[in-house]
Amino acid sequence: MKQVININFQGSVVPIEISAYDILKSYTESLRRHFGKEEGGEEIINDIEGRISELYQERLKGGATCITDEHMEAIIQSIGRPEEFDEEKVEEETTQEKPESKAETAAPKRLYRDETNKVIGGVCSGIANYFGIDVVVIRVIFLILLFTGVGILPYLILWIAVPSSSVKTIGSIRKKFYRDADDKIIGGVCSGIGHYFNINPWIPRVMFLIPFLTFAFSWSNWTFFELPNILQFTFSPGAFLFYIILWMVMPEANTTSEKLEMKGEKVDLESIKNTVITELKGVKDRAEKLGKEAVANAENINVKKHTGTLGNIILIAMKLFIYIILGIIGLSIALSLFALAIAAIAAFPLKDLIIEGTWPNLYAWGTLLFFIIAPVVGTITWMLRRIMKSNRGSGPIRFAFGAMWALGWVCLTMLLVTISKEFKRYNPPVEEEITLSNPHVPKLNITASQSVMPSSGTVYSGRQSWIKFDAFGTSTQDTMMVQNVSLEIVKSTSDSFKVTYLRFATGKTIAEAVKNADMILFEGHQADSVFTFMKGIPITHREKFRNQHVFVIIHVPVGKQIYINKNADVYHGLEFETPSSDELDLEFIGLQKGWKFNTNYIMEETGLRNLNQTEDNEKEWGDKPSEEGGYRYRHPEESNKKDTVIIENYNTAMNEKKFKREKRSRSFVMKSFLSYNPIL
Amino acid sequence: MNIENTASQMRKGVLEFCILSIIKKGEAYPSDIIDQMKNANLNILEGTLYPLLTRLKNAQLLTYRWVESSSGPPRKYFSLTDKGAAFYTELESTWMELANAVENLTK
Repeated sequence: MKQVININFQGSVVPIEISAYDILKSYTESLRRHFGKEEGGEEIINDIEGRISELYQERLKGGATCITDEHMEAIIQSIGRPEEFDEEKVEEETTQEKPESKAETAAPKRLYRDETNKVIGGVCSGIANYFGIDVVVIRVIFLILLFTGVGILPYLILWIAVPSSSVKTIGSIRKKFYRDADDKIIGGVCSGIGHYFNINPWIPRVMFLIPFLTFAFSWSNWTFFELPNILQFTFSPGAFLFYIILWMVMPEANTTSEKLEMKGEKVDLESIKNTVITELKGVKDRAEKLGKEAVANAENINVKKHTGTLGNIILIAMKLFIYIILGIIGLSIALSLFALAIAAIAAFPLKDLIIEGTWPNLYAWGTLLFFIIAPVVGTITWMLRRIMKSNRGSGPIRFAFGAMWALGWVCLTMLLVTISKEFKRYNPPVEEEITLSNPHVPKLNITASQSVMPSSGTVYSGRQSWIKFDAFGTSTQDTMMVQNVSLEIVKSTSDSFKVTYLRFATGKTIAEAVKNADMILFEGHQADSVFTFMKGIPITHREKFRNQHVFVIIHVPVGKQIYINKNADVYHGLEFETPSSDELDLEFIGLQKGWKFNTNYIMEETGLRNLNQTEDNEKEWGDKPSEEGGYRYRHPEESNKKDTVIIENYNTAMNEKKFKREKRSRSFVMKSFLSYNPIL
Repeated sequence: MNIENTASQMRKGVLEFCILSIIKKGEAYPSDIIDQMKNANLNILEGTLYPLLTRLKNAQLLTYRWVESSSGPPRKYFSLTDKGAAFYTELESTWMELANAVENLTK
C-alpha cells in the first residue's frame, strides 16, 4: 500500500506516489545543481520539467491512476541523469557574448510575470516577453508612468493579477474559479466562490440570497432597503444577474485535477502580503545586478546598433494604447448594458400601470427576460468568455441566447399589439364644472399643486428610492402622476369666473374610453383669489394608463384680471400618440392664445391685455427669453405683434391641431426627464 | 583509451549540426528532434538536448514560439533565425570538407 499525493506540477495537477515524489524531488534538485550556475539554467530546468509534466500526462491518459516509482524511473531513464549528460563546456564564451539575450523573439501566449529576470515582481520582463521586446523599454515606460502621476498602481495590479512564471515550477499552486458540481444548490457558483476564498459557501449564498428575497418580497410595492450606498449593489436585483453571469462564465469542476485546482492554495491577503515581503527581499540584489547589466548593455549598444528598437517601442506603445482603449470601451459597454438591464427591471413594475390581464403580463415578462435581460447577460458573458479565452461549449450557449432573443422579439411584438389596441378610441368630451367658492373675485390667481389630491390621496415625498425613475412624471410606489393637464383660457359669457374641465382617455372601444375617462380623478378648488388644480392625473394599478388628458378651461369675464402662476405650466405631453382634434372633437368658444405665465392680464372685449406690458418690460422680455425656463413655447406672433390674439367663435378643428403640435414640440419626454430627475 | 568515450566525443561534435539540420527542415519540438535522431540511429538523452537548445537559442541561432498542447504544459517549437541559417550553411560546408577528408583517408 502506498500513499498518493497530489502535486501541481507545471500548471497541471498530478497524482503521484509519495515515494515517486521523493524521486522527482531529488531528480529536480540534481538538475538544479547541475544547471543552476550557468546562464539560462533556470530555463533549461523549466524545459525539462515541462517535458516531465508532459510524460506524466501521457501516462495518466494511458490509464495510470497515479505516477509510480516505475514511471519515474522510466522517465528519468529517457531524459537522463546529469552525470550522463554530455558536457558542453565550450559554450561558456557564447553565453558571455550577448547580454541582451533576454530580448527573445519568443511570444508565449500567456502573460506571466518573469521570475528569472525580475527586479521587483517580474511584471516588466513578463510584458517584455509577451510582446517580444527588450525589457528595458517596458521598464522605462513604467518609470515614466510612475513619475507622471499614474503611480505604481498599474504595476501593483499587474503584480497581483498576472500569474508568476513559477506556476510552471513544482509546488506553486494557482487557484482557479470553478463551479462546484458536488456541493451545489443552483449552479454551484457560491460553493465555487467559497472554495476560492476559502470561506464557507453559505457566506456567498446568503449574500446572494438576501437581495433576492428582499427583491421578491418588495416586488409588489417596489421598495428597496435603504442601505449605505456601498451595499446597494449587493442588495439589488443586480445580484441575480451577477449570479447568472458567473454561472455561465465559471467552468464546472469535473475532473479530479480541476477539483483540486478549485480548492488549491489559499489566495488571501495574508498570502499576497507574504509573497510581497519575500519578493522585496531580493529586490536590492537584483537591482544591483540590473545596474551592472545596464552598463554592459549600454556599452554593447554603442558597439552594435540595435536596429528596430525605436520601431519596437512605437509598435508596443501603439499596441498598449489600443488595448487600453479597447478595454475601456468594452468595460463601458458592459457597464451600460448592465445598467440598462437594471433600469429595465426597476421600471418593470410600471407595467402594471399600463397593462392588465394574464397574456399582456406574460408578454411583458417575456419581453423583460428575453428581449432585454437575455441579450445583456449574453453580451457580458460573451465578453468575459472572450477575455478568459474559454471556448468550451460556446455553441449551445449561443444557440440558447439566440432562441431566447427570438422569443423576446415575439413577446415584444405581442405586447405592443395588445397595448396599442387599448389606445384606439377616445371618449367624446363632456364639459364638467368645478364649483368656485367665490367666482366674483376681481382677480383670479391660477396655480397647480400636488397637494390637491383625491380624497384617498397618497402623500408624495421625495423618497430616496434605489433608482429614480421620473421619466413618466412623478411615480412613487403604486401611483404615477401623468402630467397631461393643459390649461386653456376663454372669455366668459357671464360676469363671473368659471372653471370647467374636459377628461379624455382611450380604450379599445368608445364605451371603454368613456369608462376610463370617468375614472380620472381630477380636482381643483378656490381659496380666496387663488384657484389651485391638480398638477397631474394620478394613474394607479386600478386605472391604468390610457392617454389620460385633462383640459382645464378658465372662463374669464370681461373686466376681470387673471394671473397664471408658472406652477400651472404642467403639461408634459405624455401620450402614446397625438390625439387628433377630430377624435377629441374640441371647440373652445373665445379661446385666448399667446398668454404667458407669471403675467397679469385683464380680460377686455377684444381679449386678454397684458397689464405688465410697458416699454421697459418689453425690452426685458426680449433680452431675457430664458427667464421662463428656456423651453416654454412662445408664440411667434407674440413678440412683434399685439400680445394677444383674439379668436372669436374659434372653430378649433384646424387650429387646435396646430396648437397641440406646437405644444408637443416643447414637451419632448426626454426634456421632462431631465427637468424632473434630481439625479441629473 | 576508452572506446566508449571516444565514440561519444565524435558524436558530440556533430550534435549541434544534426539538431540545426532537423530544425532547418521545419519548426520542431524537442521530442520530435529526439525521435528523428533515434530513427537515424543517433541516440541522445533529452537531458542533453534541452541545454543544447537553450544555448543555441541564447546564441540567437534559434528562436521559439509557445504552442498550447493538449497534454501538459505549452510546448516550445524551435525554428532557425537568420543568424542560425547562416551558421548552418557554414557548418554544412565544414562538414562536407570533413566528411570528404575522412572518406578519402579511410578508403
